[in-house]
Amino acid sequence: MNEIFIKKWKSQVKKGTLAFIVLNVLKNNEFYGYELIEKIRKHTEIEIAEGTLYPLMNRLKKENLVSSKWVEQSSGIPRKYYLLTDTGSNTLNEMREYWKNLEKSIKNIIK
Amino acid sequence: MKHIKFNKNASQKIYNDYLRRIERTTKTLPKIDRNEILMEFNSHIYEGTINTETTNEVDNLLAVLDKLGIPEEVLKPLVADKKLQQATKTFNPIHLIQALALNITNGISYVIFSLLYLFIFSGIFLIIAKIFNSNVGMYYRGDEFRVLGLIKNIEHSELKEVLGNWFIPAMLIAIIALYMITTLVLKLKRFINHKN
Repeated sequence: MNEIFIKKWKSQVKKGTLAFIVLNVLKNNEFYGYELIEKIRKHTEIEIAEGTLYPLMNRLKKENLVSSKWVEQSSGIPRKYYLLTDTGSNTLNEMREYWKNLEKSIKNIIK
Repeated sequence: MKHIKFNKNASQKIYNDYLRRIERTTKTLPKIDRNEILMEFNSHIYEGTINTETTNEVDNLLAVLDKLGIPEEVLKPLVADKKLQQATKTFNPIHLIQALALNITNGISYVIFSLLYLFIFSGIFLIIAKIFNSNVGMYYRGDEFRVLGLIKNIEHSELKEVLGNWFIPAMLIAIIALYMITTLVLKLKRFINHKN
């Protein structure tokens, strides 16, 4: 077994699916960054370098897939909440469709 | 922005140092973007340090920061992205140079753009050179273009300067036009990338 190859491959897969995972987690939900990471970890057992989430969120925002708002907290340290835009929601549906097809193809190939 | 207050000096110091590194990494960005990034990371650190089971404040903070990552590495794509956004919006040459330096790793096309800008800036250099040395000019031999720059021993060559006093204004117009065109093409490239 080539462990280095597997490690690289896993990291590529993670990198390639992170946006899809984030959009799915945000479907019908509003989360702030730290919470979003917690949810991702709980649902997927994917350990992400937490800091990399923020450049990704910036990109999703630029693409108009998510929007954000600052919400004041009693601690005095506000949270930045992210939510899907309508474009984001539609885009996610399209991505899910693609993913289902991909899943089917992969299943056919590995049996 | 409200800073987090820690009980121990050591944790306060580690925290302050981390924020300073974020500020240093983002210092080329507009103030509003810098603030946004700093506030979001501050919020992340705060939420991380209160959501914990361990009792040691220092260990706790170190664990949060360790998971968050090295600011210089984590913020690099974010800074590069925002910088390019700003540079093509403002046409400001300083922003452009910073953005290109940050994005140089993103592919060969940015190398080409860097060379184009370098070419444009060498035009500015020629204008300044013309002020100090009147032998700088655009030289033709007969009908054929030969040199844009400085010729030594002008008396012994068959070269003829064609622009005369028009050298500086002509160069200025050419530079500005090239600069605008190159930046517009860069903008177009970003637009196309964006669409893909």
